[in-house]
Amino acid sequence: MSGLGDVLHLLITANLWQATLAAAVLLLLPALGGTISERSGVVNIAMEGMMLTGAFFGVAADLAWHNPWLATGVAMLAGALMASIHAFVSIQFRADQIVSGIAINIFAAGLTVFLINRIYGLQDVGHIGQDALLPNLNIPGLDQIPFFGKVLFQQNVIVYVALVLLVLIHLVLFRTRLGLRIRAVGEHPQAADTAGINVFAIRYGAVITSGLLSGLSGAFLAIGISNTFVPNMTDGRGYIALAAMIFGKWTPFGAFVACLIFGLGQAIYDNNSIIHVSPYLLSMLPYLLTLIVLAGLVGRSTPPAADGLPYVPGSE
Amino acid sequence: MPLGSVLLAFVIGAVIVAATGGNPFSAYAALVCGGFGIGCTQGENPALQISNTIVFLIPLITAGVAVALPFRAGLFNIGAEGQLLAGSIACTAVGIKFSSLPAPILLPMVLISGMIAGALWAGVAGVLKATIGAHEVVTTIMMNYIAQWLLRYLIIGGPLQLAAGTSKSSPIGAGARLATILPNDNSLFIFGLPSSVFRVHTGLFIALAAVAVFAFLLWRTSLGYEIRAVGQSQKAARYAGVSVRRTIIVTMLIAGAFSGLAGAIEIAGVDHNLTDKYFTDTTGFDAIAVALLGLGSAVGIVMAAVLFGALHAGGSVMQADANISGNLVFILQALILFSIAANFVGAIRQRIPGLGRPTALPPQMPPAAPLMTEAATPPAEA
Amino acid sequence: MVHKRFRFLGVAALVLLVAMACGGSSGGGNTKQYKIGLVTDIGGLNDKSFNHLAFVGLEKAKTDFGVKDDVTESHSGNDYVPNLTSFASKNYDLVIGVGFLMQEAMGTVSGQFPNIHFAIIDGAGTDASGKDLGHTNVQSLFFKEQDAGAMVGVIAGWLEKNGKAKTNAHVIGAVGGISIPPVNHYIAGYKWAAMMEDPMIHVLVGYSNDFTDPAKCKGVAKSQIDQKSDVEFQVAGGCGLGVLQQAGQSGVYSIGVDADQKDADPSVIASALKKVDVATYTAIKNVVNGQFKAGALTFSIANDGAGYSVDNLTLPAELLTELKTVQDKIRAGTLTPPADIP
Repeated sequence: MSGLGDVLHLLITANLWQATLAAAVLLLLPALGGTISERSGVVNIAMEGMMLTGAFFGVAADLAWHNPWLATGVAMLAGALMASIHAFVSIQFRADQIVSGIAINIFAAGLTVFLINRIYGLQDVGHIGQDALLPNLNIPGLDQIPFFGKVLFQQNVIVYVALVLLVLIHLVLFRTRLGLRIRAVGEHPQAADTAGINVFAIRYGAVITSGLLSGLSGAFLAIGISNTFVPNMTDGRGYIALAAMIFGKWTPFGAFVACLIFGLGQAIYDNNSIIHVSPYLLSMLPYLLTLIVLAGLVGRSTPPAADGLPYVPGSE
Repeated sequence: MPLGSVLLAFVIGAVIVAATGGNPFSAYAALVCGGFGIGCTQGENPALQISNTIVFLIPLITAGVAVALPFRAGLFNIGAEGQLLAGSIACTAVGIKFSSLPAPILLPMVLISGMIAGALWAGVAGVLKATIGAHEVVTTIMMNYIAQWLLRYLIIGGPLQLAAGTSKSSPIGAGARLATILPNDNSLFIFGLPSSVFRVHTGLFIALAAVAVFAFLLWRTSLGYEIRAVGQSQKAARYAGVSVRRTIIVTMLIAGAFSGLAGAIEIAGVDHNLTDKYFTDTTGFDAIAVALLGLGSAVGIVMAAVLFGALHAGGSVMQADANISGNLVFILQALILFSIAANFVGAIRQRIPGLGRPTALPPQMPPAAPLMTEAATPPAEA
Repeated sequence: MVHKRFRFLGVAALVLLVAMACGGSSGGGNTKQYKIGLVTDIGGLNDKSFNHLAFVGLEKAKTDFGVKDDVTESHSGNDYVPNLTSFASKNYDLVIGVGFLMQEAMGTVSGQFPNIHFAIIDGAGTDASGKDLGHTNVQSLFFKEQDAGAMVGVIAGWLEKNGKAKTNAHVIGAVGGISIPPVNHYIAGYKWAAMMEDPMIHVLVGYSNDFTDPAKCKGVAKSQIDQKSDVEFQVAGGCGLGVLQQAGQSGVYSIGVDADQKDADPSVIASALKKVDVATYTAIKNVVNGQFKAGALTFSIANDGAGYSVDNLTLPAELLTELKTVQDKIRAGTLTPPADIP
């Protein structure tokens, strides 16, 4: 079948995988954030909203100051602020964390467009010049390696940052005392509390970190890949990151594999000029795949035991 | 309905508007005009505004039930949008294929097809949850996306497309259409406008009947009892002899049927074909707010649907008259959700002596659930 | 005697002054302020092309004729009917719908308000099957986008044939938003003209399925550039700006659409122009002058309603001559770009 042949042909090109990695990183950053948050016991489905908020404020800052690094910092801060609302409502007020997460996403979607209208009126949000975007960076020497050079070493700066973060977060979570504490708080908050660990502080920190990471992803999307802000530009990536996190059994590398699969789907879709399969049917594949994999997870994965349960000191 | 939460949300919303240089009074006045036809100053026709509100709230009622029912079983149905789409697609497909059939046969056919499609859509999530404990939040989100892409496939270059180059489907047969409540006549004038302008349709009655069925089901049938038991505690329900697995699956199937019905009603009553409007439709998500605000009761859901329908209709007027982005409506919606979830009003009451006892959290809030539940280890029972 | 004459003069002067004052303020005797309502498509006014141009036309009419203008942005297909109805029910003098996707809504609402004038860009008032209802209160403003597409196709084809682009592998690309007639007309003209100029040309056609998000179009453009495309034609509104951005980053040429997009990116060497602003302005002008005429008005190269601009690249003299030749032939009717993609 010619369509399948087209796709297979595409799969052996470096360009496809280069695009896949970039698309995967966009999902990986919020997925890492979600992993940290959930490991500490706070369900976080607000990545979409935090990413969108980061994207908006990143663009606004870059338009004002023409400095992508500063703008990225602003984006991360904005994501963290959104996260802190979720943290506050969930941890302090013990609200249902899923409701709070959804509320954040709706809030972010409404707030960003509302602010566009207030700040820019009916005018264009504005486009950022090439010189003020997060730059692509070819690693000299390594980028000449056939195939892998293009895929791994001719990417945007944020891709490298994300890959470093991936390794870092894995190490922290599983090889440091901080990571142990985070996981303890997620599994047995009462015991952790008794052992002197500040459950609230760890949880706040974890949720805010997820905000920082989602904001970073928003910055990558808006001022690394694109050059402007468009309403709803995150287009559900935050929710896909959530699926990736579960797919990956709440581990950073597991999430990364899932993100690669979703990224591949996006990259194949972008090639609809040259493949003769319905791009819409193709686009369904990553989601179907997730369902199939989830169905196969029977008994083999458990979330942190106290995930989603507000901690009440002194209970039980 | 937790009025306090709604009021609090509007107050915070006003602060946001004022803080960004807008006039909250004119914004809210425009919302009231657009939603209820009261106090319109720019020549808007009150009857038209009310009609628009009703058109918007009809699917919110059944979709609201689709979220509220699983809440009772401790499930969170974020997939109402996907199930709604499945229902719209099924309704359209059947309405086109059998377009020559007369109304008494075709109309029930398309509505039931919608319900079946929606049920299947939700059933996938229900089965996965019941058997291996996969959290319905994730599975239903996946089903949402699959529905979105299926829709695009069908109407852009696909089998349901009207004609090359359009992004919509052929229209459904005349027999599949829900009649408008006022005569669909361009020359009959009612309330100062041609009556065809009022798009309110008989789907309203179907929706109201549906929500009554929901209340009956939940409170007067043994299935309803089982659903509520599972929602309170799966362990206790099991000891009482309730099959948790079966209940979860059935609950999702029924919920999906309600969402699918919402989608089918929208096609049969308003659009009469599938269009790209569904690429950006938010009904399923608004339904979450409707279910929560309505505290899961039939009357509450209807009242909440009225509120959100009014907000939707009011948003366009607010934009045109007060020059405030219609997206303020989403901000208000989110604030209402926060307020209910966190029970801000209760906390405020606690801190201000003399305001009375703090109200408890609405009892039918789903227990905050981890993303893979205890059902992950399938119980030994059948 | 002197007093009388002066008094007479004084009264005459006074009368003259009053007459002048009255004549000045009434501006020709017609004090009606026309109310014009514009309903945009979901791309919003920020798309730098389609909806934006309609707005430009509206603003110009506001300056020239002092009309009262109101704009409502549609956020989804749900909004077309209510938005159009809102203006019609308030007795606006002209209600303008922007976009092909609004046809059915236009058909419905124009039928309900037979005494209100409507205009629609890129479409007609149709029924659910797409059939033109022929309402006598609707003016359709059509464009022969293929004319504009053809002109920029000449540029792309010529550059490839004569090896004046980057890779010169005889490959060019076009990225469309959604596969709808206005988009496909552009691409049809582009491909036809490129094939005419360079028989060896291969034209890649892809769709982003989006008119607003630049990141999506960027991905599709990159895939085409990876296939050696030297010239990227964007036909995707606000999303298409990502095509221009990617072309710039990859060092190839790009072509803008609808409006002159030379400032969108340095890689833009030409833009296919669709003078939506002229059409909007004309429709309003007709209403103000009491000359509203129902039916279709088609804008093409022949009446300067479509065209092209040359942007950030100085084109060789032979190419400029070729462009003039082709344009004259299209104007004269000896060359006709097709409406469907060949």
